[in-house]
Amino acid sequence: MTKYVLKRIALAFMTAVIILSLTFILIKLLPFEQPVGLDPQKFAYYQDQVRLGFVQSFNKAQTNKGKLLWSYSSSGQQYYYYQVPVFQQFFNWLRNILTRWDWGTSVKIQANVAATVIIGERIKVSMLLNIFSVVFSVPIGIALGIWAALKKNTITDHIISTLIMVFISVPSFVLITFLMLWLCYGAEVLPTQWPSASAPFDIRLKAFILPVFCLSFGSICGYCRFTRAELCEVMESDYLLLARTKGLTKRQAILRHALRNAMVPIVPSIIAEFLSIMGGSMILENLYGIPGIGSLFVDSLNAKDYNILFVDMAIFTTLGLLAGVLLDISYGFIDPRIRMGAKK
Amino acid sequence: MKKTKTLLCVSAMVISGLSFAACSIGNKPASNDTTSNDPASNVTTSNPSSDVTTTETTTSTPEVDYHIDLEDYKLYVKADLKDYVAGIVKQVTDTTVLSNIDAAKTAAQTSIEAGASVSDVMAAYKAGKTAIAKCVPYANGVQSFSAESNEEKTDILGTLEAYAVRNGMTGISLFENGGYVMYNPRVKLGTENYIPGYGFGTLAEGSITADLANETNPDWKRYYHSSDASDPGTANYLNDNGSQVADYYGYMGASFFTTFMNETKDGYDWVPELAKELPVAVNEENGQATKWKFEVKTGASDGLKYNTNSTKRAKYNNRLVAPEDYITPFKLLLTQSNDLFRGSEMAGATSGAIKGAKSYYDASKSGFNEEAWKKVGLGITEEGGKTYFNVEFTTPLTQFYAMYYIASNLYMPVPQEFIDEVTVANYLGYNADKTETPIDNSLSLGAYTLEAWETDKHVVYKKNPNYVFASTKYQIPGVKVSILKAAASDETAVIKEFIANNLDASGIPQTMLEDYKNDPRTRKTTGDSNFKLNVNACSQETWEYLFGENGVVAQTPKAKYWQVKPYLGNSHFIKALSLSIDRNTFADARGSIPSVDWLSSNYMSDPVNGISYSTTQAHKDAVAGLLRDTDNGYSLDLARDYFRVAIAELEAEGKLTPGTTANPTVLPLEIAWMYPQHEKNYHNEIKQYFEAAFNDVSVTGGKYKLEVSFWVGSAWSDVYYKKMMLGQFDLGFGSISGNALNPLDFCSVLSSDQSISGGFTLNWGLDTNNPDADALVYNGARWSFDALYTAANSVAIVNDGVYVPAVTFVDEVTTKNADGTITSTLTVKANAEGVDFLAYNSLISNDDWTVYEALGAAAVATVDNGDGTFTVTITVSAALVEKYGESFFYEVLYITEVAGIQVDTYVDIYVSAAVAE
Repeated sequence: MTKYVLKRIALAFMTAVIILSLTFILIKLLPFEQPVGLDPQKFAYYQDQVRLGFVQSFNKAQTNKGKLLWSYSSSGQQYYYYQVPVFQQFFNWLRNILTRWDWGTSVKIQANVAATVIIGERIKVSMLLNIFSVVFSVPIGIALGIWAALKKNTITDHIISTLIMVFISVPSFVLITFLMLWLCYGAEVLPTQWPSASAPFDIRLKAFILPVFCLSFGSICGYCRFTRAELCEVMESDYLLLARTKGLTKRQAILRHALRNAMVPIVPSIIAEFLSIMGGSMILENLYGIPGIGSLFVDSLNAKDYNILFVDMAIFTTLGLLAGVLLDISYGFIDPRIRMGAKK
Repeated sequence: MKKTKTLLCVSAMVISGLSFAACSIGNKPASNDTTSNDPASNVTTSNPSSDVTTTETTTSTPEVDYHIDLEDYKLYVKADLKDYVAGIVKQVTDTTVLSNIDAAKTAAQTSIEAGASVSDVMAAYKAGKTAIAKCVPYANGVQSFSAESNEEKTDILGTLEAYAVRNGMTGISLFENGGYVMYNPRVKLGTENYIPGYGFGTLAEGSITADLANETNPDWKRYYHSSDASDPGTANYLNDNGSQVADYYGYMGASFFTTFMNETKDGYDWVPELAKELPVAVNEENGQATKWKFEVKTGASDGLKYNTNSTKRAKYNNRLVAPEDYITPFKLLLTQSNDLFRGSEMAGATSGAIKGAKSYYDASKSGFNEEAWKKVGLGITEEGGKTYFNVEFTTPLTQFYAMYYIASNLYMPVPQEFIDEVTVANYLGYNADKTETPIDNSLSLGAYTLEAWETDKHVVYKKNPNYVFASTKYQIPGVKVSILKAAASDETAVIKEFIANNLDASGIPQTMLEDYKNDPRTRKTTGDSNFKLNVNACSQETWEYLFGENGVVAQTPKAKYWQVKPYLGNSHFIKALSLSIDRNTFADARGSIPSVDWLSSNYMSDPVNGISYSTTQAHKDAVAGLLRDTDNGYSLDLARDYFRVAIAELEAEGKLTPGTTANPTVLPLEIAWMYPQHEKNYHNEIKQYFEAAFNDVSVTGGKYKLEVSFWVGSAWSDVYYKKMMLGQFDLGFGSISGNALNPLDFCSVLSSDQSISGGFTLNWGLDTNNPDADALVYNGARWSFDALYTAANSVAIVNDGVYVPAVTFVDEVTTKNADGTITSTLTVKANAEGVDFLAYNSLISNDDWTVYEALGAAAVATVDNGDGTFTVTITVSAALVEKYGESFFYEVLYITEVAGIQVDTYVDIYVSAAVAE
């Protein structure tokens, strides 16, 4: 088991390296993103690119260095900038990370600040929000699903299923816009924006309500639908009939056999859902003023602040791969028939 | 900040009581029309507010001969000629010249009358203009009007503006960015009447009368609460070129001189802040001087102390301001190796430039240069126990402008040891690991001091008890700027927060204008900048010269060449576009101010007496052509007439060919905007105006169809940096503001020469250093725009009306000598009498400038040949040749001085192995 887990982690690490490498190379293969602004700003940008090993500078035009990116005259000195070959850039990037853990600094979002520091201070909020929304959505979604399954083809089931179908289509950012107008600006029962870290505890706690609810909304619907479908299928299986014929009550049969089997596909979906919530929080974070990595991803993409983007990408990739490892491992705990790394 | 140029973003930013909130949903333009007065046809025109589609309209309309009647066309051309001549003769007093002009004008009119076709008339008009221009002699020699009176400078500005308007260089103005602002009733404003260039005195003279209930921090309940759409991430205004960081820095910045509201609360007065008196002229001549001095406050004499709320830098709290601290910010800015944007701007300044600043900047690429600094016109002296700040400008200035140009809060004193401790890179910002914040890395002498900075949440300032006017001004105990990221995409985000009692001020979005315009909390403001549609009027040839593969402004790969629209190069077409905008309706619906001007009413022709340039006769004459027979620049009839004139000319030139009513020739016109929401806020209505005016059947009989399209980038500034500054546009929305107290200096942004405009040129098409294309006459002589602009602000060497540099390099020969030394001989030509020529600084470097050192003054010898040329000989020692190998660079910087003004020129010499062999 340990060996299997270690192997999976090693594979996940390799996969992460491949994904990030490909991301880096593909972005760098795009036409060079010319900096915008006035000449002194462009000059500073190019000099920073030279420092990072992505661009090389000469004081006369070169014929064998590819396309001239930009030329600039400062104080009588001429600068000619050419792009370093992509693979050389890649190795420079890797070298900076591996030897100095230098992922570069922000050039626009927070100029001069290390990209890892910017991500580090924002990831806590995003993770908390996502964890809370999973904690909130899993029991409610599963409970509703169970209730609908147990009341299959009754009015209760129809109402739950219809509402689920309607609400699953509403994106979280639409929901939060509506709820902000209603509960924050209208009823004034919740903060209108994500409060400062120095705000009183009760206000900070209240601030979780809207985003957690909005992020959970889709998940609740998903879990409910999935649980209902799985449970309905299990409840019609022969072994459950056998359990009942053995003398178990319906409650005992469902709790001891039906639910556990139904959980086999549901639990891994919780991990997958966690990641999709992370993605879904990007717009929501902007609307509610939440200083998380979701809005940062959008901001850095818009600002073409690639150093931050790469770190953000690394976070999402790592989380995704770790989730995959956890998912595999979770099967073993949920379903005893599955043995990790067991040989035939 | 007094002397900077800033690209303006129309956003929902509310800080210190000023609001820029022009983003709102557009109403349809009011129905205005009407029947065309076109003498050639009696076709009823369509309503501009209807959705006109030419194809539909024209398919059911009989063929219309849209071509303008030749006699009518001649009337328009003669009217143009009359305006052209009127602008010239008012600047000419020589009776012979006037007589020649009159004769040339009569001849031109006769030729125009005799024209048998539009082409003939156009040719006659062009030839007539040239003949009239030739009657006026060129300006020549060394020229400077920088010491002229305000009245004379206003006259020059009017001349430059008239030329710019006539040639479409000012774009198509839409509105002045004033509007409505709502204030929380707990805020007692300094004045109820907005003061242009000052505001309501919210912070300086206002007060807060009650707590903000929703503020959770009890210490901040009486703070003034404003908002911003994004976190600037730094307060380092010294290295920023926008207006956002300037606002954040401004709360804690202090300057030698500042402004406070006057006693009658209808204007403002300049008062010493860090200074103790107004500047005193040292070498006064005719009311102007280059050298000025004034006593300043220091810790020793006045108890002036720094303030910080940082615990890390607590040792600097209450540290006394030392005299040398006044020089530190100048060294910080002007040392090139610090890479501070405002430093490069300061070094490149033409107006109010400090003597030796540019030379020092150029000589400090590898760090502080003690020798070069000695030549900078800045110093601190002690006389009789008093401390004086001394400054020498490159041009003579009046007392007001001497004060104005040195009154920037960028020059707020700071101890050198503080800079050394926090480092230049981290000053006013975060360090790389964010263990130090802007609170730790800044010191305040201003009204407020940074108290808290939470990324993307808020920036908070606390009143500085050490501020020099702490007891009488700025009685509001603090300022909290909330970062409201939703405001970037939701124009109602700020007002919703205001109504929820979380903010003290908000602009009113267009959608809510009717609801809140008459609210008792609402105040009306005037603007500080005019927003306009900037025009790409280039011919394809000019565009390639400016922006082509080897463009002088930007280099564009062939695949990305912009296809310029020939009709935008037609001045009548541009005028017609301008006339088709109902500015009163457009501005009223947005709570802004209708305007055809390119300068807002904030720009002063007499800053001492507060006379706005927009009220002067010089300005009224310059824009008379845009306003004549119109309703604030709007006349649908005239717009259609001018479109017909333009079409006739474009067809005559072969630039346009008519289609058919079923398949009209489409004239595409893209307008580039800042934000996606500008499509509904502005674009749709402007499109409606343009298309309704042009696509009416009376204009082209349905043979042409104007199709206006929308463009927006991913960032608001893309409209500047990716479109207008690269020539990749037809029309582009935006504005530049700056230097409101010296609009003549601000004319630099109209120049096509990037070294003059500093890269801020937005309207393209005309070579502004050509005195022949269209006569710009001032003081009896003919000038290029660049020549007159430069002469008006500093000094210009003018050759036949053209602005020329002080020296030109004619020849260069480099040889290797037998003793291993290398000698370069340069021949340099001075372009005017009285150019003092001085070899100054020389460097030698390896191939990629990673290693370099001074060659030394002894290595450079200059000989005056007596024929207007100089021979400069540079000798590189054998030791240096050996050290740097056989392939290296050296550069020589020359300072020339023309009428007391320094002009720097460089030459780079590359020594290759071939030469060395």
